[in-house]
Amino acid sequence: MIERGKISALQMAMILHSTIAATALLAMPSVTMKYAHQDMWLSPIWASLGGFLIVWITFQLHKFYPKESFIEYVPRIIGRFLGSIFAFLYLFFYWIILGDIVREYGEFLITNFLAHTPYSVISGSMLLVCAYAVRGGVEVIGRSAQFFVPIVMPLFLIVLLLLIPDLKPQNMLPMFEHGLKPSLIGAIPPLSAFYGEFFLISFLYPYVSDKQNKLRWGIYSVLSVVWTMLLVSFSTLLIFGKVGAHLTYPLIGVARYISLADFLEHLESIVAAIWVLSMFIKMTMIYYALSLGTAQWLKLTDYRPLIFPIGILSLVLSIWTVPNLQVLSQFINSTGTIYFLLMQYLIPLLLLIVAYFRRKQNQKKVAEQA
Amino acid sequence: MGFLKNWLSSKKRTKQLNEIAAQQNLTATLEENRSFLATIFKGCSDVVFHDFTIFGQISAVLIYIEGLVDKEKLDQNVLTPLLNKTGEPFSINTVSGVIPVSNIKELNYIEEIIDEISNGHPILLLDHQKKGISLGLTQLEHRAIEEPPAESVIRGPREGFTELLTINTSLLRRRIKSPQLKVKNIVVGRYTRTKIGVYYIEGIAEKSLIKEVMRRLDKIYMDGILGSGYIEELIEDQSNSLFPQILSTERPDVVVSYLLEGHVTILCDGNPVALVVPITLFSFLQSSEDYAQKFMIGSLIRWLRYISVAIVLLLPSTYVALLTYHQEMIPTSLLLTIAKSREQIPFPALFEALLMEITFEALREAGVRLPQQLGTAISIVGALVIGQAATAAGLVSSPMVMVVAITGVASFLLPHYPIGITLRILRFPIMFLAGMLGLLGIILGIIAIVIHLCSLRSFGVPYLTPIVPMVKQDLKDVLYRSPIWARNKRPHSTSKQNPIRQSPGQKPEAENEEELHSD
Repeated sequence: MIERGKISALQMAMILHSTIAATALLAMPSVTMKYAHQDMWLSPIWASLGGFLIVWITFQLHKFYPKESFIEYVPRIIGRFLGSIFAFLYLFFYWIILGDIVREYGEFLITNFLAHTPYSVISGSMLLVCAYAVRGGVEVIGRSAQFFVPIVMPLFLIVLLLLIPDLKPQNMLPMFEHGLKPSLIGAIPPLSAFYGEFFLISFLYPYVSDKQNKLRWGIYSVLSVVWTMLLVSFSTLLIFGKVGAHLTYPLIGVARYISLADFLEHLESIVAAIWVLSMFIKMTMIYYALSLGTAQWLKLTDYRPLIFPIGILSLVLSIWTVPNLQVLSQFINSTGTIYFLLMQYLIPLLLLIVAYFRRKQNQKKVAEQA
Repeated sequence: MGFLKNWLSSKKRTKQLNEIAAQQNLTATLEENRSFLATIFKGCSDVVFHDFTIFGQISAVLIYIEGLVDKEKLDQNVLTPLLNKTGEPFSINTVSGVIPVSNIKELNYIEEIIDEISNGHPILLLDHQKKGISLGLTQLEHRAIEEPPAESVIRGPREGFTELLTINTSLLRRRIKSPQLKVKNIVVGRYTRTKIGVYYIEGIAEKSLIKEVMRRLDKIYMDGILGSGYIEELIEDQSNSLFPQILSTERPDVVVSYLLEGHVTILCDGNPVALVVPITLFSFLQSSEDYAQKFMIGSLIRWLRYISVAIVLLLPSTYVALLTYHQEMIPTSLLLTIAKSREQIPFPALFEALLMEITFEALREAGVRLPQQLGTAISIVGALVIGQAATAAGLVSSPMVMVVAITGVASFLLPHYPIGITLRILRFPIMFLAGMLGLLGIILGIIAIVIHLCSLRSFGVPYLTPIVPMVKQDLKDVLYRSPIWARNKRPHSTSKQNPIRQSPGQKPEAENEEELHSD
């Protein structure tokens, strides 16, 4: 095994929570609002079913191959040649995702805070820090998540608490104006783009030390993400109403509303700082999955020599794949949806079915031989 | 192969250690032994060879180093009986029988004899004897036991370690009277032959930990060990880290509290600083004083210390970041005040901060090295340079002076010097990051530090335990200072095998209240 570190189930849940919540916090409300309007708070709940499904599928696959990550067991399920191609497709997929995330991160900071700082400095510095964490392995990633999440969560809650005077509950009305359909359609983008990322759990399962709690904590982390998304959705909806659909980052707008005793104002930098912490865990997790997966795919003994090249390529890719933020959100809402659904739901499900029947066949063979 | 290599190198090592005298037996003739030792100690004018005749029959020689030996006792208890009594039947037993000295050892090898002489034990060699007698009449000059100035307390014992290992051991033994307190001695240093003591409590400390400590100490092989700093650097887990991974203290009570929690302590002869392993970051933020006060007060002081860590690390950089990038976060009236005071300042905030912080560090360092009488002079100069003159000259704004002063005060709150210096150094790179990327830079700096801390270990214990990885039962001594009656279990990381510290239900209850008030 390339990775020798172990993390606890709690740490796994914390990594996943930040991985999904980081981008969902900023981008999710406006996307769901576009389709679900005032019923958008329902969409994350519908979409969470996808999260549970993925956690379950990957757990079943993990039970078949308990000591291997996804990249390692794909060839075992569908044969060496086809499996290697599939594994490569996944690596490529995560490469693009990492590029997108890096771009999103950089664009967000440039548009909101550091207008004059070059993009490559902002994204490069973050990637450098992530590379440092990836070098430490899964143990360091798990521990940093466990360090930051208990800081991020209360701060996030405090920010939302400070908003309470500005909330207007009538923004939720009329409820179910067009039935449940809008909220169901609104659930598709979070289903594919956000909950789909739970698929990264398949890279963590083999390194979780407490065996009994893996599935349980996976489900807890989905629940905590649902809860976070609900809070964000409600605060956006109750403050902005339908206008929220036209804001790129509603949460930052929300933070601008905070004013306490005429002294605590303009807390958006604090919100951004919190967000950067979660974003760091998200980027590190994907970066790690990509580095480790590549090493496993190439059957190397160590993934560390790959970290630096992959970082540079991701930085370059983040500039190449999309010319600007509009194209990025266009991609996520159209082609991307199908891409994400295919890679994170359909193929794993098919693989699980194949693995299940293979296992049965093997058992039959063994029984016959006996 | 590995063990063979180890075995070979250990062979080589003993050989080199005894370069002068290999495993050589004493011979039966006094003259031979005497001349052999005389050639070894040739040029050492402090080594005395005193020839005399025992019981008027046998010639003998007494060898000792002047200044390490209690001469008065040597004359009274050794020479007097041996010279005065005559006509007794001679044997080595009767000789040791007539000497009223409790610590007597018989030695066979030249090497042992050299060691004993060097350690200040007089050696008695007799003619026709293949054995020498070592007399425990050492008298080493030493400093009195005083309160360590760097770790003074308001309420607590005022004893500190001294330079003498035997005294330090007795200070520990006096506090832990159980025979479970074990001491292992090893000698390190080809020339200095420094004695190192390893202390632990059997049954509490993990065996694997003791073994690991001994393994790392055994690996040391060099000319000399001049202090516990040498040992610290040679046995710590990650040498190229700014963070101290071994706790150093001069207080026996601190050491005892760690010993009782299953830690191992290393003391080195000639140095009053004890090393405690393994250690976590939070040990550096605790003081023995916390336990001398009520637990609520102890907790509050501990929180104050945590805040001061944040201030030392982040205050100057946050100030720079706010002034340079995030002016909108400062309330308008405050912003106007700051702007007014900065009107005349020719430097950007980052440069101003660097200037002041470096001046402050320089003054502080100067104050440490200077004799006490000059220390006050430095503080006057410092107050003038840092405060009055710099602002009056229009080089530095007064809010910046305040920031530097608050940072300075916060850094004095840290109870252990090594962690303070680490944090003070780390605030400079974070200041640069803040100057380049604002709050984002500070966050990146924090992330990098946390990653580093997450990857650190001290003798197998993760550096951020019990926060990360979380150990619920140990959190009570980190998030706050738990009451002594609630600390039923020892820390999980150091004593898994023997976790029960005290029986539960120690919380004081006024059960006899009625009786007390009955009359």
